[in-house]
Amino acid sequence: MCSLSINHASVAELSIIHTYYRGISLIKVEGLRKQYGDIMAVDDVSFTAEPGAIFGLLGPNGAGKTTTISCISGLLKPGAGRVSVLGHDVVTDGPASRAKLGVVPQELALYEDLSARENLDYWGAAYGMGGAALKRRVGEVLEIVGLSDRAKEPVKKYSGGMKRRLNFACGIVHEPQALLLDEPTVGVDPQSRVKLLDLVREQAQRGICVLYTTHYMEEAESLCDQLAIIDHGQIIAMGTLAELRAMLQERDLLRLAGAFDPAAVPTALAPLADIELVQVDAESLTLATTQASQKLSRIFTVLSAVGADIRETVLSQPNLESLFIKLTGRELRE
Amino acid sequence: MWQTVLKDWRRQRRNPAEFLIWLGIPLLIGGLIILASGGKSGPSPQAHLLVVDEDNSFVSGFLVGAMSQEELGGLIRAEVVDQETGRRTMADGKASALLIIPDGFGDAVLKEESTTLQLLTNPSQIILPGIVEETISVMVDGSFYLQRLLGDELRILANGPPQQMSTFADAFIANMGVKINHIIGRLVDYFDPLVIQLEKVVPEAEQQQEEEGDIPWSVAFVPGILLMSLLFMSQGLGNDLWQERDQHTLRRIVVSPQSVVAFLSGKVVAGTCLMCCVSIVGLTLGYAYFALNPITLPLAIAWTTCSGAMLMALMMLIQLLTTSQRAGNIMTLILIFPLIMLGGSFFPFEAMPNWMAAVGRFTPNGWALLQLSQIIRQDFELSRVAVGFLGLGLVSMVLFVISAWRLRRGFAQG
Repeated sequence: MCSLSINHASVAELSIIHTYYRGISLIKVEGLRKQYGDIMAVDDVSFTAEPGAIFGLLGPNGAGKTTTISCISGLLKPGAGRVSVLGHDVVTDGPASRAKLGVVPQELALYEDLSARENLDYWGAAYGMGGAALKRRVGEVLEIVGLSDRAKEPVKKYSGGMKRRLNFACGIVHEPQALLLDEPTVGVDPQSRVKLLDLVREQAQRGICVLYTTHYMEEAESLCDQLAIIDHGQIIAMGTLAELRAMLQERDLLRLAGAFDPAAVPTALAPLADIELVQVDAESLTLATTQASQKLSRIFTVLSAVGADIRETVLSQPNLESLFIKLTGRELRE
Repeated sequence: MWQTVLKDWRRQRRNPAEFLIWLGIPLLIGGLIILASGGKSGPSPQAHLLVVDEDNSFVSGFLVGAMSQEELGGLIRAEVVDQETGRRTMADGKASALLIIPDGFGDAVLKEESTTLQLLTNPSQIILPGIVEETISVMVDGSFYLQRLLGDELRILANGPPQQMSTFADAFIANMGVKINHIIGRLVDYFDPLVIQLEKVVPEAEQQQEEEGDIPWSVAFVPGILLMSLLFMSQGLGNDLWQERDQHTLRRIVVSPQSVVAFLSGKVVAGTCLMCCVSIVGLTLGYAYFALNPITLPLAIAWTTCSGAMLMALMMLIQLLTTSQRAGNIMTLILIFPLIMLGGSFFPFEAMPNWMAAVGRFTPNGWALLQLSQIIRQDFELSRVAVGFLGLGLVSMVLFVISAWRLRRGFAQG
């Protein structure tokens, strides 16, 4: 699988990476907690990420994704729990854990006065690279992100998408074995987003362990091999995409907007078979059921009987969004 | 660390405007001050005294001549003019004072009669007309004492030779000379008493001024201008830490294996090298412009560079202790301008009130400026300079350690 889209690393090299780390969790998070004053940003988060796979951390803004990434990268000290990268504890063995870890932050972290090549030279050197090896690698990375022809221009002259690609390049210039990407496509145009996602896939195919955070459900679905859904600092679901879909039991999600009596709705729906009440309040109602389209008339009838006034109906197929709603009662983007 | 040095140099090179501002403002201010004070020739301020001599006597000529003699000549430039020219020049504000010596002045002085000298002063000048007025007052007082001592002889001279003679007889002149000699002989012990020995105690600052010799006094501005530049540079280089944080590159450094201490060291080395360049250029120009002995130039460059590094470490720490870039800018600017004022960059300590100079000498830049001035004037002891370097190193080290601690604990994570 790996050799299909490899441009810049030999198959032998990749085989070594795969062989060496096969079965090893390159990123291991156990019982991670981080608190800011009274706010628990991350609460007992545990997961592992494997080489050659993309592990997604999906959740709304403020769910604790960036805090988790920051603890793994060594930017923040965990309040409790243990985090290790390539077997090195990030607290007690920080420099070793960071040496083979690449980080692509959510914000652009570039020197705009310098050229792309100078930026890459600097960040490569920050990871201990130098001489001909650094020069060769910088050339490779510029090719990978498609900036070779404009490598000598100051970054401030670049478009937003080009800056994003360079931001990504700075994270991989030192050939990391684990890569953290913190919402790298936020604010990126669709074309650049596709390009960035391809770059991420390519890194995973090269045997690198990728940890990817996002609040875009479509990105997570199309990109990630393993997923953890995080909300209010806690992981509420974790598994492969198939496993997560299975949690919905192939149920459609039916969301109604209007005026409801939260006390009367559960009683009214009780006689209907195979309908799960996910959430209800005075203005909205969410139900999970199989073949929802065929049950719409019956649902409307029982709800009308208890005085409900339905103004909007949204029916969605089972996906991560509907799983998130099922688990939290809220939309992912709320 | 060296990658950070290289990176900061590159960034600085791409942003020359900032560098030019750091140098330009102090050079502009300093240049204007030096030009206003007469440039490298450094002439002492001189009063331009216009004299209208309506008497044209021996005495009035003596008065005008005395004004231009020896040391007084350095203070007052007397020019004899007619009354109309004198008043017109005064009306144009082109002279410090106008002295009108009335007709009969000489006779009046010799006969000890009342007479009036008229002095018009230029209201747009404060000090120079005062010097003229004081000088003339001293001369008037002197004439009173001369009358007491040689009044009879002067009156005989004023009345002129006897009617039947066109000139005084030789015997009379000789007799007069002997009398004057006797009077002076009697008074010489009072003029030059041997019993009391006067010891002149000169304050250190004035002594320093006296020892300057032929070094123009405007040289005093060179260290001030240079330290002003270094203060502005320090402020800008310190502020760069906030830029690194706001553009998120500092976070990237923290998550790399490179230590923030190495990163900070790199920034300090890069900044110190820039300051060294500025010191080399600034001091070399200053030494050349004022034709100073270049033997102390390397030491002056080393001192200026180390002082700049210390100021930069101070500004970095202040920036690191603030909560935003804006707050950092405000804090450092609030600090910089009083430091420039008190630390001798705008006004030399000698021109300040004593209390202000005393405070200014204890500011970091003021202290550095004093040592630099002494180095430039070759008025220093190597041992004291060595102690000074040690002090600079220690202070810089302490500031650096606190900055590195702050960078690791909170600032970088921001």
